[in-house]
Amino acid sequence: MLYLIGLGLGDCRDISVRGLEVVRRSARVYLECYTSIMFVSKEELEKFYGRSLILADRELVEQGVGEVLELAMTQEVAFLVAGDPLAATTHSDLILRAQKKGVEYRVFHNASIISAVACSGLQLYRFGETVSIVMWTDDWQPDSFADKIENNLSRGLHTLCLLDIKVKEQTVENMMRGNKVFEPPRYQSVSEAAAILLSIVQRRQEQGCSYLLKNDSLSIALARVGSETQQIVSCTLSQLATADLGPPLHCLVIPAGMHHMEEDMVKCFALKQQPHPIKNIQ
Amino acid sequence: MSKRTNIRNMSVIAHVDHGKSTLTDSLVSKAGIIAGERAGDMRYTDTRKDEQERCITIKSTAISLYYELKKEDMDYVLQQSEGNGFLINLIDSPGHVDFSSEVTAALRVTDGALVVVDCVSGVCVQTGTVLRQAIAERIKPILFMNKMDRALLELQLDKEDLYQKFNRIVESVNVIIQTYGEDTPMGDITVTPSDGTVGFGSGLHGWAFTLKQFAEIYVEKFKLEPKKLMKRLWDDQFYSSTDKKWKKESGPGYERGFCMLILDPIYKLFHSIMNFKKDESTKLIQKLKIKLNIEEQKLEGKPLLKLCMRRWLPAGETLLQMITIHLPSPVTAQKYRMEMLYEGPKDDILAIGVKNCDPEAPLCMYVSKMVPTTDKGRFYAFGRVFSGTVSTGQKVRIMGPNFKPGKKEDLYNKSIQRTVLMMGRTVEAIEDVPCGNIVGLVGIDQFLVKTGTITTFDQAHNMRVMKFSVSPVVRVAVEPKNATDLPKLVEGIKRLAKSDPMVQCFNEESGEHIIAGAGELHLEICLKDLEEDHAGIPIKKSDPVVSYRETISEMSSQMCLSKSANKHNRLFCKAQPLTEGIAEDIDDGEVEPNGEAKARARYLADKYEWDVSEARKIWGFGPDGTGPNMLVDCTKGVQYLNEIKDSVVAGFQWASKEGVLCDENCRGIRCNIYDVSLHTDTIHRGGGQIIPTARRVFYASILTAAPRILEPVYLCEIQCPETAVGGIYGVLNRRRGHVFEEYQQEGTPMFVIKSYLPVNESFGFTADLRSNTGGQAFPQCVFDHWQLLPGDPMEAGASNKASIVVTETRKRKALAEAIPPLDRFLDKL
Repeated sequence: MLYLIGLGLGDCRDISVRGLEVVRRSARVYLECYTSIMFVSKEELEKFYGRSLILADRELVEQGVGEVLELAMTQEVAFLVAGDPLAATTHSDLILRAQKKGVEYRVFHNASIISAVACSGLQLYRFGETVSIVMWTDDWQPDSFADKIENNLSRGLHTLCLLDIKVKEQTVENMMRGNKVFEPPRYQSVSEAAAILLSIVQRRQEQGCSYLLKNDSLSIALARVGSETQQIVSCTLSQLATADLGPPLHCLVIPAGMHHMEEDMVKCFALKQQPHPIKNIQ
Repeated sequence: MSKRTNIRNMSVIAHVDHGKSTLTDSLVSKAGIIAGERAGDMRYTDTRKDEQERCITIKSTAISLYYELKKEDMDYVLQQSEGNGFLINLIDSPGHVDFSSEVTAALRVTDGALVVVDCVSGVCVQTGTVLRQAIAERIKPILFMNKMDRALLELQLDKEDLYQKFNRIVESVNVIIQTYGEDTPMGDITVTPSDGTVGFGSGLHGWAFTLKQFAEIYVEKFKLEPKKLMKRLWDDQFYSSTDKKWKKESGPGYERGFCMLILDPIYKLFHSIMNFKKDESTKLIQKLKIKLNIEEQKLEGKPLLKLCMRRWLPAGETLLQMITIHLPSPVTAQKYRMEMLYEGPKDDILAIGVKNCDPEAPLCMYVSKMVPTTDKGRFYAFGRVFSGTVSTGQKVRIMGPNFKPGKKEDLYNKSIQRTVLMMGRTVEAIEDVPCGNIVGLVGIDQFLVKTGTITTFDQAHNMRVMKFSVSPVVRVAVEPKNATDLPKLVEGIKRLAKSDPMVQCFNEESGEHIIAGAGELHLEICLKDLEEDHAGIPIKKSDPVVSYRETISEMSSQMCLSKSANKHNRLFCKAQPLTEGIAEDIDDGEVEPNGEAKARARYLADKYEWDVSEARKIWGFGPDGTGPNMLVDCTKGVQYLNEIKDSVVAGFQWASKEGVLCDENCRGIRCNIYDVSLHTDTIHRGGGQIIPTARRVFYASILTAAPRILEPVYLCEIQCPETAVGGIYGVLNRRRGHVFEEYQQEGTPMFVIKSYLPVNESFGFTADLRSNTGGQAFPQCVFDHWQLLPGDPMEAGASNKASIVVTETRKRKALAEAIPPLDRFLDKL
């Protein structure tokens, strides 16, 4: 039996009681650690669960998964994922392979950023396609996600932007050499993401496109959602480019036209001392 | 130096042993650097000990000379000039094919070339190669027929035969010039004796003449202007001294002008002196107005002959006249050289500066090679200033060959510590050097590997990198004898890579240090330098091995699919052999990977009947972005394709650099991407997912396209007497050689045999040949082409050459013994 267990967002105690029971009795417990991070260390989790955890990096999940499934044929195996196992990060490949092997599985859901983003005050019903904003390099600067945001805006839908994380990434050179040398982990901050969006806006202007997303568009930045230090700020995109919301993980929401309840909520998070941009929109 | 119109930058190029360095001595002695008597023996420009011992030039050497052309000769200079003083920067280059990268580097910084041909052996394979290179670089050639003393003393040809021999050489040189220089903007660059662009003489004996010298001698006798008289001294112009008339064809009493007026006195002088007819020779010497002192009059035989000829027709004077009159100044040359030198827009400030050779424009200098200093481990950056002025302490941008405008890669902003003039064996410090000159820079060697562009213009593009005519196909692995010396070896290899324009140094997966060179001799010299100079430690070296190429012989038998690790992205691809001829066109720069896409598409459509729309969708070349394999986008309407393009191209570079069979480079493979399905979110299709997937799908495509192995083949030219021909055939047969041409050199007992010889079979070839022919045969091997090794490398078999090569190469590189199976790369739907 393979259990896919969501750990929730902020605290080791966010795991469901049912999930905890499974963790305590499983033959082996894996912790997926590359698509998202928990704000608690592996050691803290181990202490709380009373179990030792096996870190499952990208390589293990995407390439060496056979061994996990083999064990799950006969015994109970728990696979822990930050947030929800099937929401932001889709582990459907794992399920497909389990089914192919005839391994039974269960999913224990939990809070995901996809649902928890409601803390910004925006209604989940009115969100469009979720996008990821990737870290740009000198020669790789994709911008298709901005077109998706634009698409959502034009249909009156909010956009949740997940921000890039690079954990255990190799340089192309190391990948070619087969060196297991990994770059230090990096997490995109909202200010970096805002800067990328701003430069795309400028790019589009230079190309002569009329774009709904503008420098003074409203944006809502969320940091460490679900933890004790959660922080939410709403301001213009250009203000956001200079904002500092502290340590990761961050995410970003580009709201479209808002319902009055939404507006009232968002105003609560306005940057102090500055005139709130909602006025500009109206 | 500041008179740019009075500078001549020139190189001396020729086949090996045709006497370049010896001839250069005459020029050096003219400038007073070495004594006239020693000119011809000393080979001043062969500065290295091993060059002197082996009597072969290994590194090119630059010297600067000052020459004042006679006032009356200024009429001959058809380009703009200021006064009659000229600065001549001369580079003596090696003739052996293994060092022809040195020639390439020399040609880049010069505008003219003195092509030396041994008039006994005539135009040889390397003469053709260097001449072709010179023309491609837009270098104007002049010709010099060397070793005339041998023609007279050894061959004993009569006058008419000697004329015919000269004429044939001039013609065959002109055939080469016309073939490769058809549409050159340099104008007519063929050489003709009657224009004075062909010189004759002997570098060893230190004498030389052009028709101009003789026209001046006879000017009183014929009362004709020298320029007009020169026309009479070549070709079918016959004179009768009784009729005192010129005719266009021969007849009784009429003799060819060249034979009668030029060869006759020379023959007489040779004859009388060598046969010890003292009276006759004394008379002649007086008649020719050769002044000898009492001591010298007592000389006899060869020493006397040498002295007389040198006094009568001094080589230095003749050559310097030829150089100053006929070779272009930087001002003249850069006008037509700019467009092929500069990669950037042809109308930016730097392009204009180069074109006009403007010392006030921003600096643009090309570093063509690194020259070791006396300070161990440091190098002068040697090159030519094309625009602006370079000076000591100047802050400059140093751009390596991988620099791209607007990027920071391979770019350094540094100050030049010192600028120096290179004078053969010495250097001389100088404050600043304006464009048109050749100069050495101190203090920037650590920022450049071999070559680069130095500029002060912040939007400068690179100068075009040099194309070598040979490739490093022979390699050895080296290691220190004492393991503790490894750091010294690594440091030494770095220095070696700098000091030689061609040598390649890299690490194999197995950790071996590999050094690759153009041939056995080149490697031998490199290793010797490494051991004695650069590293200074005893080293162990493996037997030389050849680099191979991986290719395919059919279209992939199926559509290949690979999925990314997260399974969200799928690539569909096939491989097919690149249309025959394109790989060579890429090597020769006819198809330019970095060139303009539209022009390239047009070219491929016209020459190879490619579909224009496909030819426009070439995504990249590999390996290293410029190699002879192509990646073509054949997809229709795939969304976000552009965002994964770079990752797919990176995967292609990887796959084509490390082929699936045995990690060798690929050649002649075209990969087509037919379809792509991608995850909707950018983050799930980043480089980490796409690059390895692209590599896998290309490997799968290659494995299903009947992969083959290519081996490098030399064109081997052997000169020998008839008796040795049989022995040569025997040796060639044993070594899988294949003779395709054999002929007798006209007017000599020597035979020339041309053959193709696999590089793999060439180790020890020279020695083998020598022992089988009693030391009478001398081969010249130059890399020519890649040839298919018969056999399917995937099928093991004792007689299957391809499979043996793959297995051995895999073993050497410490890879798993078997070629990886297809299912490792191919995924199922």
